[in-house]
Amino acid sequence: MKNKIILSLVAAAFPILVTGCATAHYVETGGRENVVSINQINVQDYIQAANAAVNDLLASGALDRVANPPAVLAMSRIVNNTGQQIDTDMLTKKIRVALLQSGKAVTTTTFGLGGTAEDPLAKGIQQESEFSNDQKTTRTPDFSLSGKIIETSVRAGSTRQTTYSFQLSLTDKQGLAVWEGEKEITKQGTREAVGF
Amino acid sequence: MKMRILLPLAACGFAASLLGLAGCTTVNTVENAQKEGQRQMVTDLRAVTDASLARKVSIVGVNQAMTPGGLLKVQVELLNRTRSLQRFNYRFEWFDANGMQVNNVISAVIPDQIEGMESKMISSIAPSPSCKDFRVKFIEAN
Repeated sequence: MKNKIILSLVAAAFPILVTGCATAHYVETGGRENVVSINQINVQDYIQAANAAVNDLLASGALDRVANPPAVLAMSRIVNNTGQQIDTDMLTKKIRVALLQSGKAVTTTTFGLGGTAEDPLAKGIQQESEFSNDQKTTRTPDFSLSGKIIETSVRAGSTRQTTYSFQLSLTDKQGLAVWEGEKEITKQGTREAVGF
Repeated sequence: MKMRILLPLAACGFAASLLGLAGCTTVNTVENAQKEGQRQMVTDLRAVTDASLARKVSIVGVNQAMTPGGLLKVQVELLNRTRSLQRFNYRFEWFDANGMQVNNVISAVIPDQIEGMESKMISSIAPSPSCKDFRVKFIEAN
């Protein structure tokens, strides 16, 4: 009799427990409740990589060595050497925002790779302004930021391990890499997990 | 009767092997005895709500310096008081001269680990020159 009661209680609690865990809810982006994937770059990985890059770049003082601070930064190519399709803005936008907030650098949106502007309208306004005022207002970038994201995967039995290397270079007008940074994030496990 | 004796013995053996797997690996170190650098130590204020974590990964001290660009840099020295590897997460928060928290797009919960009896430094740089104060939060990893 006692067993029957216990069994029915467990049976009643089981769906509550299961659905309780699976109920959709908001979590802090990049917080410790985020899903951790082994063979995928998670949002917390981008935040960590950007955090490490900005900390390292600001500590180097490379951005402070310009004639007219703040330094003007142009975004160059970030090569994706991983097996997944990623939007590199997940990394670069965070770096740009953080550098702007630091007051150490501003990013140009009218100067891009191959003459393409990130913001074509801003480029048009800039050209119009220069034409009507008959003077050049464009400030050429002091630095360009380029990089690469590399994925290295290994396996031992059922345990998988993936390392994501976020490599960045800051190049000055003379073509010299005045700062370079690398942040490696390694994840290991047999399957995805919620939280870290 | 024999079974009764064997079972606890087997359980003890299993527990011992688990402990072995968990690994009691500690760190040996060597460093220069005559230090050239002088750490500018900070008088810190601690709030411990997870005594278990604080016992395992303790805060030895906090020191600060300024970057060439005038940003505050903070370094925290941690010590693993146990003989096994410990995992934890930490996050730096920054505050301006009015005590207001400075919004930081790259504020991250950083997972980290520390070997048995190891001393480790974690550091961060203020996101802007307006940051005057800081707080570091530690949470035990899952």
